[in-house]
Amino acid sequence: MTGEIGSDACFTDRIEPGVDELVVNVGPSHPSTHGVCRVIVHLDGEVVTKAEPVIGYLHRGIEKMAENRTYLQVVPLTDRLDYVGSMYANWAYCRTVERLAGIQVPERAEYLRVIVCEMQRIASHMMSLGSAAADTGAATMFIYAFDQREKVIEAFEELCGARLTYNYVRPGGVSFEIPEGWTERVLQFCRDHRDGLELMDRLFFGNVITRDRMKHVGVLSPEDAVAWGASGPVARGSGVNWDLRKHDPYSVYPRFDFDVPTGSNGDCYDRARVRLFECYESCRIIEQAISQMQPGPIRTPGLPRLLAPRPGDAYDHIESARGALGVYLVSDGSVRPYRMKVRSPAFCNLALLPLLAEGHMLSDLVVILGSLDPVFGEVDR
Amino acid sequence: MWGKGILTGMRITMRNMLRGPITVKYPYERLEIPERARWAVAPKYDGEGKPKCTACMACVRACPDHILDLEFTTREDKSKHIERYSYEIGACMMCGLCVEACPFDAIEMSHDYELARLDPAQLTYDLLADVDAAPVKRARPATAPKAEAAPDEPASTEAAPAEAAPADPVGKEATDE
Ligand code: SF4
Ligand code: SF4
Repeated sequence: MTGEIGSDACFTDRIEPGVDELVVNVGPSHPSTHGVCRVIVHLDGEVVTKAEPVIGYLHRGIEKMAENRTYLQVVPLTDRLDYVGSMYANWAYCRTVERLAGIQVPERAEYLRVIVCEMQRIASHMMSLGSAAADTGAATMFIYAFDQREKVIEAFEELCGARLTYNYVRPGGVSFEIPEGWTERVLQFCRDHRDGLELMDRLFFGNVITRDRMKHVGVLSPEDAVAWGASGPVARGSGVNWDLRKHDPYSVYPRFDFDVPTGSNGDCYDRARVRLFECYESCRIIEQAISQMQPGPIRTPGLPRLLAPRPGDAYDHIESARGALGVYLVSDGSVRPYRMKVRSPAFCNLALLPLLAEGHMLSDLVVILGSLDPVFGEVDR
Repeated sequence: MWGKGILTGMRITMRNMLRGPITVKYPYERLEIPERARWAVAPKYDGEGKPKCTACMACVRACPDHILDLEFTTREDKSKHIERYSYEIGACMMCGLCVEACPFDAIEMSHDYELARLDPAQLTYDLLADVDAAPVKRARPATAPKAEAAPDEPASTEAAPAEAAPADPVGKEATDE
């Protein structure tokens, strides 16, 4: 019985005789889980002895679907990977296609990509902080964070016509030139956003309830972070200074002056706070990018609409809001990818849940899950 | 210590109480949606109310979901008659690739966002049915067919950003099948 696929539908086979524990099913659509995640929790009283994430509820087979679409047609699919940060998946995919096909991207397009991706980082972190706050009962912080996110999303809607599924970054450039007055509005947003962040820092991170709920909960040591392949704010919260924008610089990132915030304790509080500080850094990058950006083409001229790269493979990765997001593509010389594989940071970070949740209370489980910030579209693909 | 905290809290409460609402009562009030907003695909018509579509099939090939379907007949004089140009909105992901692919600026992402239907069968409908396709006025160069703005209306306003896409030298004729 045990070990068979699907046998976890029944709990009785998970209870070991003689062990006094309760098996509780959290999810798949529990209100405080993020996306469609199911966690089978073994409880001794109220203490978690084991937590097993069960994934696959949002599996759409995007990697397989990509094999039946042309290179351009895959871009809207990548929007659906990480639906909180679609720009990243767009960009990671397009970078790989560009590497595969040897396409040079115009400089202005690179700047636009950096701007939208840093804005996306703000939107994604605001979503993460807002839902982490909602999990700990801080409803005001949730509204404040989503208010900030809404402004980014409105700017995106103005830029490319969609609120979440942008389809903006394309192989060889970006799809739209910025509308008139957009940069001024973005700069204004950056200024307002800093005030918002400061307010949130005081309201949420200075709050004694938040500190009690999040400090020393789900402690991840730097060694474990590296060993388990954690990346992004999860690794940086543990003090692992690893950011692809700095340590494997891509695009025009070397031209910007920014810091990589890191935590020291590796608990939920540090992971969340790292996200807050990253938003400040994103504002800095956006401002520098807007001031450095020169007019020019936004798409590589003379690019065929149907790309058919030479046979071969390519891998490229970028630093998404969740960590190192990589896309691996194999081409067989036709107009469709032969194979696409996505290395999703959310998946790797979610794998830490059993490690972190053990020994904590059941009510801490949602806080830990929230601090890992998994997006299940990307976990399940 | 407590008094200060309560006063700070009340200050925020007062400030939010005194400002106007930021939400709108949707069916009665509507927010303005941006110019580039992408919603249901809709056909465009020329000044005389005739569709601008020339039945070139570029949009059908561009759609990642294969939800556009265009059936046409070609007459003796090479002019085309569109029997049916069907569109399945239930499966459309509003990506806009069909609009970008159209070389004649004949379709657009409309601002029609109220897409709920009572019957699933209504999710597939005809954008155009039983109409004559617009003639391709400009004789295509024999060698390199280029995607440019609509021949009869070069100064189009809405689709200007989409036109920033590179003119493709390989062209849409280069299908892989
Ligand atoms: S918007 Fe995208 S999915 Fe919808 S019909 Fe056009 S190409 Fe197809
Ligand atoms: S003219 Fe435009 S809408 Fe008509 S078939 Fe060609 S691409 Fe499609």
